[in-house]
Formats: sequence, C-alpha cells, structure tokens
Amino acid sequence: MYDDCTEYLSAYASLVLKEAKKLGVPTKDLSEESANKKEVEKFITKTNTKLFFANGHGNDNQLCGHKNEVIISGDENADLLKNKIIYARACSAGASLGKKAVQNGDGCFIGYAHLFSFWMDGKWSAAPLKDKTAAFYLEPSNEIVIALINGKSSREAHEKSKKMMAKNMKKLLRLEEKQEPSAMGMLQVLWNNYEGQVLHGNKEAYF
Amino acid sequence: MKMQNSMDLSLKELVLARLDIMPPNFKLSVGDKGTFTKQELMYHVNEGDSIGVQVIEMQLNFIKALTTGKLIEAINKDE
Repeated sequence: MYDDCTEYLSAYASLVLKEAKKLGVPTKDLSEESANKKEVEKFITKTNTKLFFANGHGNDNQLCGHKNEVIISGDENADLLKNKIIYARACSAGASLGKKAVQNGDGCFIGYAHLFSFWMDGKWSAAPLKDKTAAFYLEPSNEIVIALINGKSSREAHEKSKKMMAKNMKKLLRLEEKQEPSAMGMLQVLWNNYEGQVLHGNKEAYF
Repeated sequence: MKMQNSMDLSLKELVLARLDIMPPNFKLSVGDKGTFTKQELMYHVNEGDSIGVQVIEMQLNFIKALTTGKLIEAINKDE
C-alpha cells in the first residue's frame, strides 16, 4: 500500500506521462510492483532509454522503488545511469548518488541535495491533483521532465523549475502579507526544495 | 540529537509556534520519514527526535535565507 507521499508523487507523475503521450514520446511506467530493481535494471539495459524519471523515496546514495526496495545504489549499479538524463524526485539523492551517476559520462542528474518535502491538504488525500497546497511544490518539479521532453536542455529545465518555485514563493509572500496563517510555513518548505535542487553533470544535455 | 542550549530552545519555540498556526487538515511529507499532521510534527519537535530535528533544520535554513537575503535574491532574480 502506498503512503500519502508516493500517492501524490504518482498522481503528479501521471501528468508527465500524459504530456509525453501528447508529444508522442514513448514511455514505460514502472510503477507499483514493477518498480523493483530487476525490472528497472532490465529496462535500462535493454532499451538504452535516454531519460530516467525516478519518483519515490531515496537517500544520499540510493533510489528506492516499491516497498522501499533499493533500485539504484551508488555502491552497486549507479553506472547504469551513466550518459542518461536523470530526474530523481526523491530525497537527498542529489547529494552523493547524483554525482556518482554522472561520473565519466555526458549525462546529467537533477535531484535534491537534501529532503524533498511538501505540504498537502488532507482534505484532498484521495484526489491529489485537486490539492492546491501540494501544487505549489509538485508543479515546479513536474516542469523539469516536461521541459526536457519539450526539447529544453538540462540547464533550462532545471532553471525553469526553479523559476516556477520562485514565482510560487512570491505568491506565498503575498498571502503572508494578507495574514494567511499557513503561508510562511509553506514558504519555508518550498525554500528548502528550491535551495536543495541541484544539477550535476552535463548542463547542456538534451533528450 | 537532543535540544540543549537556550538558543536551541528559542528555535524550538519558534518552530512550534509556526507549526501551531498551520491548518489542522494540513500534512507535511518529510521524505521517506513519512507524512505528518501538525500535531505529530509538534510532538516530534518536542521530543527532539530525528524527525523533529529535521523540521527544526528546515526552519533554521529558512531563517538563514531570510537574514542573508538569499530568499529575496532568489525571488527577485526571476522578475
């Protein structure tokens, strides 16, 4: 069973898949049980896919899949990601794994050097895409892959996402001025994602 | 890691006050640590456990961004 976090991340990832379909970009959705190490390694090796979008839990050195199974580890199979364009919407993998993944290759890694966090409105737990609170955080992160599949470079995708976060932070500051009690707490978390988002490797990588 | 000195205590008070004004239906996803209501977050901050420390660090990081002007710089950069 998914937790709230992965439920939201999956719902937002479905928007990226929708955009890819619209653009005619072939995709493979390795979600739920198929988000395991064996399937992921098989897919990356056999298809030589250029873009890899990981969506779930992680830490400095690992990306996890279904039931927190480690699917990519800096100590084991990070070389699989060499020469790929990777976006990891997962905690902390930008701190160490991201650097290892782009070593000696022309790929890039966009991720977070610390926790990726977001506020959600519990009223919308069953319908994450209607949650305007979570949208402050998840729309800018979706923008990374959307920009990439629309022909932007890794640097442009990274900057576009940060620009959207900056815009959202400005909106929250305006809400704070209007005495909206949740605005400053929301801004604090968005700032952490903004500051933690990193791009390693080739800054001019194209999908 | 436990809160020890008076500066830590002031920061803890600030974090608790900030959490207390969040709407009751809001929940914070703190990476792989889980998703927490404000009451749960306040409990962890009071306990000073790893989740509480994480929340306090976020607050500290934000205060630094405010006081150094990094936040305003980031917001104005894209105007």
